[in-house]
Amino acid sequence: MKRIKQFFRYDNVGWLYVFPAFAYMLYFVGYPILQNIILSFQDVTMRTLTSPDKPFAGLQNYIEIFQDKVFRTSLTNTLVFTVSCLVVQFLIGFALALFFNRNFKIAKPVRGLLMMPWMIPITVTALMFKFIFGTDVGILNYILSSLGLIKENIEWLTTPGTAMFAVICANVWIGIPFNMILISTGLTTIPKELYESASIDGAGKVQTFFKITLPLLRPTIESVLILGFIYTFKVFDLVYVMTGGGPVNSTHMLSTYSYKLSFEMFKYSKGSAVANVLLIILLIVGSFYLRATKEED
Amino acid sequence: MKLRKAAAAVLSTAMAVGVLAGAVQVSAAEDITLWYYWENEGHQRALNEMIGTYNSSQDVYAVTAKYVPFADFKKQLSIGASASELPDLVILDSPDHASYASMGIFADITGKFDVSTYYEGPVASATLDDVLYGVPFGCNCLSLYYNRDMFDAAGITEVPQTWDELKETAAKLTTDGVTGLAFCSLQNEEGTFNFVPWLWSTGATSYDINSEAGIRALTFVKDLVDSGAMSKECINWTQGDVMNQFISGNVAMMVNGPWQIPTMRDEAPDLNWDVTLIPKDTEFASVIGGENYAVVAGGNEEGALDFLTYATQKEQVTFMMTQMGYISADSEIASEQFASEEDAVYKKFVDQLEYAQARGPLPEWPEVSDAISLAFNEVMTGSAEPADAAAEAQATIDSVLAR
Amino acid sequence: MDGEKKISGMKNVFLCIVSLAVMCILLFPIYWIFVTSLKTEKEIFQIPPTFWPQALNLKSYAAQVETGDFNMFQSFANSFLISVGATLISVVLSVPASYGIAKFRFKGKKVVLLGFLVTQMLPVAVLLTPMFIMFRNMHMYNTPWAAMLADATIGIPFSVLILKNYFASIPGDLEEAARIDGCNRFAAFIRVLIPIAKPGVMVCAIFSFLYAWGDLAYGMTFILDQQKRPITAGIFNFMGQYGTKWSYLTAFAIVTIIPVAIIFIFMQKYIISGMTSGAVKG
Repeated sequence: MKRIKQFFRYDNVGWLYVFPAFAYMLYFVGYPILQNIILSFQDVTMRTLTSPDKPFAGLQNYIEIFQDKVFRTSLTNTLVFTVSCLVVQFLIGFALALFFNRNFKIAKPVRGLLMMPWMIPITVTALMFKFIFGTDVGILNYILSSLGLIKENIEWLTTPGTAMFAVICANVWIGIPFNMILISTGLTTIPKELYESASIDGAGKVQTFFKITLPLLRPTIESVLILGFIYTFKVFDLVYVMTGGGPVNSTHMLSTYSYKLSFEMFKYSKGSAVANVLLIILLIVGSFYLRATKEED
Repeated sequence: MKLRKAAAAVLSTAMAVGVLAGAVQVSAAEDITLWYYWENEGHQRALNEMIGTYNSSQDVYAVTAKYVPFADFKKQLSIGASASELPDLVILDSPDHASYASMGIFADITGKFDVSTYYEGPVASATLDDVLYGVPFGCNCLSLYYNRDMFDAAGITEVPQTWDELKETAAKLTTDGVTGLAFCSLQNEEGTFNFVPWLWSTGATSYDINSEAGIRALTFVKDLVDSGAMSKECINWTQGDVMNQFISGNVAMMVNGPWQIPTMRDEAPDLNWDVTLIPKDTEFASVIGGENYAVVAGGNEEGALDFLTYATQKEQVTFMMTQMGYISADSEIASEQFASEEDAVYKKFVDQLEYAQARGPLPEWPEVSDAISLAFNEVMTGSAEPADAAAEAQATIDSVLAR
Repeated sequence: MDGEKKISGMKNVFLCIVSLAVMCILLFPIYWIFVTSLKTEKEIFQIPPTFWPQALNLKSYAAQVETGDFNMFQSFANSFLISVGATLISVVLSVPASYGIAKFRFKGKKVVLLGFLVTQMLPVAVLLTPMFIMFRNMHMYNTPWAAMLADATIGIPFSVLILKNYFASIPGDLEEAARIDGCNRFAAFIRVLIPIAKPGVMVCAIFSFLYAWGDLAYGMTFILDQQKRPITAGIFNFMGQYGTKWSYLTAFAIVTIIPVAIIFIFMQKYIISGMTSGAVKG
């Protein structure tokens, strides 16, 4: 008893605040993750799915997926997709957050309206973008050619490179409000007095931005980026519905490929292994994030 | 006013009693659950009506149908199988039947049904290692639809019957804003479904694509796309999208199934179209689609079988097929279907069915199908030459078959 | 950053115009969804596309109310229940957790943070089977609880990560002052810190709600009865094995946006003030 009391003196009391949420997550998600790791070391296909003892496969699944061309493509695709989306949506989101932080008349209502992409079921968004990027009936080609920007219709979704561009656009569209709102709220934590004293000291706008806004916003930026990275890295519905990984696997992501292996090809263990590669990469990125975060108190 | 209120009160009490009585009756019966995936309201209503008549015809079993969307159906069955939380009966897509049968989740019903009058293909799809794991529900196949007005406008009088004629016709029909031919070429089962008629027409089977015949089929679709007679966008069009393009007048001919007819009549009543056999290379060919019933092992097998016996009677089958625009898998019933003039066009699908084969049956069919669909996607997008794509697909197929 | 000072005159007009232009570009896809919902299937596929329907088609909206087993109002109620439940769970658990992380230097803090991150790292699809088995064993399969509890797992880590920055940005003096006034640390957290962090809590609540509202995978997998499923499940009425009915599907999207948009407009004052009134005095 005494020991327990001693443990919870001072800062370890923090555990009491953290524990409920942590336990909840461990119980509901930690256990499934563990199950998934086990599954990836077994050989579970349709023939063994319902049998009580699942054959142990060791690293076989991992070896096989790394020999798989589509897996390697998915891996590169996921990285390209994530980094491009993250950079573009963060920069635009940040710019918009700064813009709407200015106190002009309709700033707040318009900023609120920009949240609307988040209210649409993602499947509809994906279908809509598929439609917008259509070659002949797509509105984008129509607008571009009306403006004289293109001479011939671009085959957005039937050419590997442009298909990737199209899915990135769709994802950025959803990502912009996310970044904008989170950075906007982050901006409210910066005391106004700092800006006032800076302007008294004769600091310019650019200077204030780099000397005050950016450093004070750092924790927010870190959180937004890491969350954005995770959400983008495991993107699923958007790509699955919009391109199904095509044309010719050129937009397959780790998550869509994992799904395809598990639920379309009935190779459950391989699907898990692909998902675990995703997990491992995110773990590495996550630990970099933790190293970067300073103790903020 | 008062009287009306009183009447309403009496009525609602009576209804409540009735409902209660009904509930008691229902709870006395054993519950049988059935999963199906038709999102179409007409299909759903027909199924529920048939189930309703079954439930009132006896009081031992009470069947309830649960809708699981097509997109989720395979996933839900996989999850259900590993959690042993399955219904008693499922209606599933026929090419997947063998895979699920190999999981051991379906009951052996060999000898419990007389399937001798059924078409061979659908029965084969429900059979694995000579064991019958289900009963065909109904079937369909693909045929060539064409826009008559566009034919007239282009001065075409003969319906294409061979690949060469088809190429020529498609080229003639292709104008600014109209492409000659379209068929769904998605890189999935739906795309494979639409490609295999061409492959089989050359005499090649699904398992020997890297042959002169297989390469010829791939070259044929490549030529269609390269010449502009078929839009490359077909690789992103579902069969429904293809139909939409057809009724909007963007496409002059399409390969599609009979299930599109009600929608087409509804959405484009003025469109002047007809159906013919898919043009051939060396032989006419088409592919069989449709659903099978399967009884889940370890569920209420007796009840499921009892319902199945009822549902496969001529009267019920005829009702379901007519409501859904399907062809019965029972050739005797199919020959009597579509007697009315209005339904004459469905007859053409029955004719086409003579040339149609089933995919698989093979538990690993999804992998074979994936290899095939990758091959024609590579060819259509120009990422690979027919010979290379065929060789690559063959390597995958061989490794699957070797297992 | 002109702070609280209101911008007026020409500059105000200019900024308003720019913001409207930004809005038009960003919300164009939503306009396109709306216009598509009013067209006939035939016109949707017309070349060249039309910016406004030639013939207004409202059939698609009539079909939303009830299709087969699907009842829109019932589905709305289900979604609402699930989303509010998930939001409550997520806020109640993540507010103290983020405070704990921000204000205490306890042992294993980084592990905890990493833990919250890790639970977000697997695609939902691979979690479905084990979660399904868990919920079945807890007798929650085919109840809204399963979806609610599962949806909260998306909101919690997000909220913790965002809110911890909030609590961290609140100066320690405030807490000290509250303690001098006789509050213990927990009371200070409830009475002083939470109100200050309100904008952050608000944003977390909104995102938790939207995550749950938009969820399809959990709701579909853990709830089998159409009558109990969330509104997102309705999408499958118009998108199935035989193709997509575009006008119905887009009308569906518009109809699902409306209640959420109404909640936003109705609560806008509260949400916006919540989001921006973080009166942090240094």
